[in-house]
Amino acid sequence: MGQFHDVQAFVREANRVTEMAELEPALASIMQSLGFDLYAFVHHVPGSVVPESVVRLSNYPEAWRDIMRARNYFADNPVIMACQKRSVGFIWSQLPSLLNLSARQKESLDEWNRMGFGEGFTVPMHVPGEIMGSCSMSVGRGASLPEASLPAAQYVACFTFEAARRIARGGTEKLTPSTKVRNLTQRQLDCVVLVGRGKSDWDISRLLGISDQTVHQHVEEAKRRFGVASRTQLVVRALYNSQLTFSDIIQ
Amino acid sequence: MIRIVGAKNREALAPELQSMHRHRKQVFVDFLKWDIPVIDGQYEIDQFDNDDAVYLMVSDPQTRAHLGSVRLLPTQCPHLMSEIFPFLCDGAPPNSEDVWEITRLCTAPKVADPSTVRRHLCTALMEYGLLHGIRRYVSVTHMAFLAQVLAVGWNCEPLGLPQMVNGEEIGAIAIEVSAESLSHFRKSLGLKRPLIALSDQAQAA
Repeated sequence: MGQFHDVQAFVREANRVTEMAELEPALASIMQSLGFDLYAFVHHVPGSVVPESVVRLSNYPEAWRDIMRARNYFADNPVIMACQKRSVGFIWSQLPSLLNLSARQKESLDEWNRMGFGEGFTVPMHVPGEIMGSCSMSVGRGASLPEASLPAAQYVACFTFEAARRIARGGTEKLTPSTKVRNLTQRQLDCVVLVGRGKSDWDISRLLGISDQTVHQHVEEAKRRFGVASRTQLVVRALYNSQLTFSDIIQ
Repeated sequence: MIRIVGAKNREALAPELQSMHRHRKQVFVDFLKWDIPVIDGQYEIDQFDNDDAVYLMVSDPQTRAHLGSVRLLPTQCPHLMSEIFPFLCDGAPPNSEDVWEITRLCTAPKVADPSTVRRHLCTALMEYGLLHGIRRYVSVTHMAFLAQVLAVGWNCEPLGLPQMVNGEEIGAIAIEVSAESLSHFRKSLGLKRPLIALSDQAQAA
């Protein structure tokens, strides 16, 4: 009861603010009252150089972020991978049952724990046609996750992310080219579908009656449009996008 | 253009409505696997598809096929939130002449550009609300789609904490009707004129 009123007051504040500098303290305060120590509300954009219009709200200590960057934990980050498969929130200890964790991923979870992360809760942020994001809320090692706060945490995640998204793109309705994903052309999509079926550039060129050089260009351009590095990520993103075109919102 | 379908013109627009119910079955029952009634194995129709319901609909003028729609119900009549999900509201469910409920927002499964159809419907919701003195809409939404609902760019707030229902997390939200949101949507779609035809107003009411 009291918790809902806290969330409602927070949402009104998040809807009102026009700068990250106003959103950040409001978020820090609601996170604390819900019982979370650590949070990272981010668009999934790999690399250290990111466009300004990307959401990146986090209170992770700088030293931890450095470690995560240095190990390139972005590439196969299990939390991010789980977001690609899930539409609703999940608890980090469920990760082994959500994903087939590689040895490297298991090791990275251990390393997070050594750094000081305890249990966490992540809500995927899927907006069709845009780069995926997520909101992770966690406690320090040894502390217990505030289970009773998880429903409220989902609202805080969605409303904060939307406020940050609005502020990041400058309050205008147009997304900047760097975060807005342009749809693939039909030809690019044909290539991506065949990549997904495990075909080589040469196979695809025979099937579509174009040169393998052209296939390569289509695939590279599609990767660029989605802002992804590998062919696997490309297929996941393309699937995700078209999958969601008609999973239309409201009950 | 957006048609308004109400008690008075639903006979005249029967082909569009039939196409809408068929698409709703494909979207909500076949694709999203909701456990809701199906009539004749092909139409999704429930107890709220009654004379109180008003639909905003995009349809193909030639074929009369439905391309996208949303159902509106006055909250002073029985509606989804009062009859099925009252527990999603912190306090009593809405019951006021200036609050209407949005349900069954969908686009036709094979429509070429679903996102534009959806944005036209959102724009029409603001136009309809402003024309009819509606202050806010309320809606039951899956948490999985909340980010997407908020990303439309209107002003929303929760009405109660989300709950787990049949294994899915759902919540009740309110969407504010405002001239500001309307002009924001019109600008982003490059619209100069209203989407709702005033002639339809008279026929549907």
